[in-house]
Amino acid sequence: MTAVDLQRNTTSRRIERKPGPVERNPRAFMRRRRIIDNLLRIGAPILLIVAWQLVVSTGLLDRRFWPAPTDVLLSFQENVATGRLAEALVSSMTRILLGYLIGSVAGILGGIALGVFRPLRIALEPIISAVYTVPKLAILPLLLLLFGLGDVPKIILIALGVFFVTIISTIAAVTSIPEGYLEPARSFGANRVQTFRHIIVPAIMPDIFVALRLAAGQAVLLMIGIEFVQGDEGLGYMIWNSWQLFLADRMYVGIVSVALVGVVFQTTVKWIGQRLTPWEKPRN
Amino acid sequence: MSDEAKIAARGITRTFGAGAGLVHALGPLDAEIESGEFVCIVGPSGCGKSTFLRIVAGLIPPSEGVLSLGSDGGQAPLAAVVFQDYSIFPWKTVEANVRFGLDLLRVPRHEADTRVERSLSRLGLTEFRKAYPGTLSGGMRQRVSIARALVTEPQVLLMDEPFAALDAQLRHLLQDELLELWQEDRRTVLFITHNLDEALLLGDRVLVMSARPGRIVGEFKVPFERPRSGDIRRSPEFAAMESEIWDLLRSEVAAGIPATGGTKVPA
Ligand SMILES: Nc1ncnc2c1ncn2[C@@H]1O[C@H](COP(=O)(O)OP(=O)(O)OP(=O)(O)O)[C@@H](O)[C@H]1O
Ligand SMILES: [Mg+2]
Repeated sequence: MTAVDLQRNTTSRRIERKPGPVERNPRAFMRRRRIIDNLLRIGAPILLIVAWQLVVSTGLLDRRFWPAPTDVLLSFQENVATGRLAEALVSSMTRILLGYLIGSVAGILGGIALGVFRPLRIALEPIISAVYTVPKLAILPLLLLLFGLGDVPKIILIALGVFFVTIISTIAAVTSIPEGYLEPARSFGANRVQTFRHIIVPAIMPDIFVALRLAAGQAVLLMIGIEFVQGDEGLGYMIWNSWQLFLADRMYVGIVSVALVGVVFQTTVKWIGQRLTPWEKPRN
Repeated sequence: MSDEAKIAARGITRTFGAGAGLVHALGPLDAEIESGEFVCIVGPSGCGKSTFLRIVAGLIPPSEGVLSLGSDGGQAPLAAVVFQDYSIFPWKTVEANVRFGLDLLRVPRHEADTRVERSLSRLGLTEFRKAYPGTLSGGMRQRVSIARALVTEPQVLLMDEPFAALDAQLRHLLQDELLELWQEDRRTVLFITHNLDEALLLGDRVLVMSARPGRIVGEFKVPFERPRSGDIRRSPEFAAMESEIWDLLRSEVAAGIPATGGTKVPA
């Protein structure tokens, strides 16, 4: 039925293929699109904040639980002025970045090792899958018991979270490198080190950066979780403590800061990834 | 005698898989290719041509038989392959792709530069040296793949349908180019093609393979004088030889397609 209709349609009129706005003036089109993109990028959050402000100031939402953006901004200024926010930020970020660095380096190296050496992969992959399934926060008490109350158990936990995401992706990336890339290397007589440098590393890079972005989110998430339950510093503690003191404004300052940290972190990783894989052209 | 051949294949077979999924891809196949000889292999699709080339290149071992290669013991690498599916690296620029083999051989930078330079201009890629393969046409990628193999100046050049993806004009140009390059230094070449015209223009000898599992069912010495040019296509001997090979090949192509009811010709 449909096929017949379609056919009738196409035979009954002419279809034209013409240059569109992009083709007619590529430069103007790109400039306009960049402006529109930026408007959308900045406009959407602003619109959301304005809507929030309106809903709260008209009394539709209870201001005690839903402080208006202006309230949050005031509290934000106050927390910046007292240095409380900077202190929390620095303390959280140091641990996040340390854990992230350790976890991702170990995950990538481990993933390459397991990807390249089959016996190692066969032996360890099931164990990795098993441990990966355990929620990381569930072993925090164990780590606290083993390493005391300092930064060490927190950094280890974040590193673990990041490690599993990166090692699993890296193994998959290494084992799925097409023969078509390995054969030329072998035919030109590449040794292990050369194969690694010319083929394996660049071939897995795009996948690794996807994993690193996911891991960045994971690291922030774990840090906040840890700070909720243990210690008295960092953004997580700030949010939790504000709740206990019923300081909704400050709680939102913490939440918004965490969100911003996440955005900046992931964007940075993505940006680095794009610099390092110039042959990958994401379709805009 | 056989010890002197550049490439000597003795009873080569190759199977893939095991049990119910076993595929007998190739052979038994015997062949000898002399040093400096340009040998073309034609045969029906799926008859094991690429498999044979991979065995010669040392990428996969044969299931049975022995393949031996004579090395001249010089600096030049033993073999370089131009793959049927190009197999160039998307993460390397055109220039870096071509330089790949030289990097692995640790050719000094200055010498590598001049060789890459020459090779790029020979294949008309100079303008695109900084481009990534993702932005190139199929024919250009194929030229990168050819340049990558030629630049290492291997003792044996293994080419798997290198011009298959090119349009007729460019194909003619590159055939002439290859002919010229080869006539300069007479490397040993094993060249797989579906195109009889190409095989007769380029080759000293044409080997015809049977349907899978591929064996050699015919061998034709190409009588045309060297140096050759594309003009020999117009000679009556050329046409006669082309139709003679095609007659042999046709029965094999039919045998590879069960629906036509063809039967396999024993070697
Ligand atoms: N890695 C592999 N695993 C399983 N089967 C394979 C493999 N490589 C080749 N074969 C099989 O071996 C047979 C010969 O393949 P080959 O690629 O050598 O053919 P070919 O002569 O090069 O064909 P074409 O002209 O179409 O390129 C085919 O039936 C193919 O399916
Ligand atoms: Mg093939």
